[in-house]
Amino acid sequence: MSECIWIHYARPRPHWYGLNATTQAAHEKIWAATAEASLAAGGSRVGRYHIRGQQDFETVEIWRFPSAEAAFEHWSALTAAEYGELNAFANNIGLAIEGSP
Amino acid sequence: MTLLTEATDVFAAAEKGGRCLVAFAAKRQPLASGVFGYDQARRLETLLQALQAEGWLMSVRAMFEPNAPADPHVFDTGFAHDVDMVGAFEAPSLSAALAGTVRLEQAGWARRFATEWLLGPREFSTVQGRGAQSDHSWGFLALWEWNDAWSAATKAKRRAYDEECDVAFKGDVALGINIAGRHRIDWASRWHHAGLWEAPSLGSVDLAMQGHEAAADFKFTTSRHYVGRLRPLADFIKPDAD
Repeated sequence: MSECIWIHYARPRPHWYGLNATTQAAHEKIWAATAEASLAAGGSRVGRYHIRGQQDFETVEIWRFPSAEAAFEHWSALTAAEYGELNAFANNIGLAIEGSP
Repeated sequence: MTLLTEATDVFAAAEKGGRCLVAFAAKRQPLASGVFGYDQARRLETLLQALQAEGWLMSVRAMFEPNAPADPHVFDTGFAHDVDMVGAFEAPSLSAALAGTVRLEQAGWARRFATEWLLGPREFSTVQGRGAQSDHSWGFLALWEWNDAWSAATKAKRRAYDEECDVAFKGDVALGINIAGRHRIDWASRWHHAGLWEAPSLGSVDLAMQGHEAAADFKFTTSRHYVGRLRPLADFIKPDAD
């Protein structure tokens, strides 16, 4: 098991904008709970940044996970909660370079 | 793990073994003399043997016949694509897969190829093509994402779509095409799924695609397809002549 960086680009899909604010908030609450569970399982969130000005996506979110499996579990929980159906995305996984500062 | 899509007549959910696809699309890089020489080629061959000893499968064929003795094989795609080869290994775990790509890159692969690695667990089991086709000298790699239209569709509409696509997949199998199941790669890619086929000919892949067009497969997916001829990986990692 080696530490991994996980980089997640996202933007809402068109039908997201057709949902009312209550429904959007309900989804966001579930996804936030998923993130909390991943934090409790040893992940750490570097942050979520706005990049719409220079990218196809709206945000980039960066996490550190203790293993590739932990990154997968985080993502699998999000997609099980309809995250991917309401957000277009692109993900990257990277292995920590040994000896790198 | 939850499945991204449901099982169908053709596709059955795979046993959850934790194993991981290591697919790749690689372009040979123009190199100065000596950058990829006998040393790098030998190191890479040694590592490929070590990975096999660690439980890796080294070809699409091995996904159908895990115990068959098999040197690493890929599909030669240079005649039709901007990458020279595509292929797939299978690693014992996600961690082993990710670490394996770094080991390969460091052993010399990164000098020889610019590579898009595609990693992820198996969702559906292999599907054997009909008939006694022994010639599977062609391969096909499909990458796709479920697009906005699929994402906005109701579960009933997606189910009806899956049933339509199953007609096309049954047509593929009737053409003697072996389907190496379906893998989920969305956790570390812009693509959601990878599909790998063995086919008896380029014509059979083309006929199969016509069946998928007729089934309106691509109304709900955005796809990229590669087709190539079976070839030993060793042919691509020979050192350059001085």
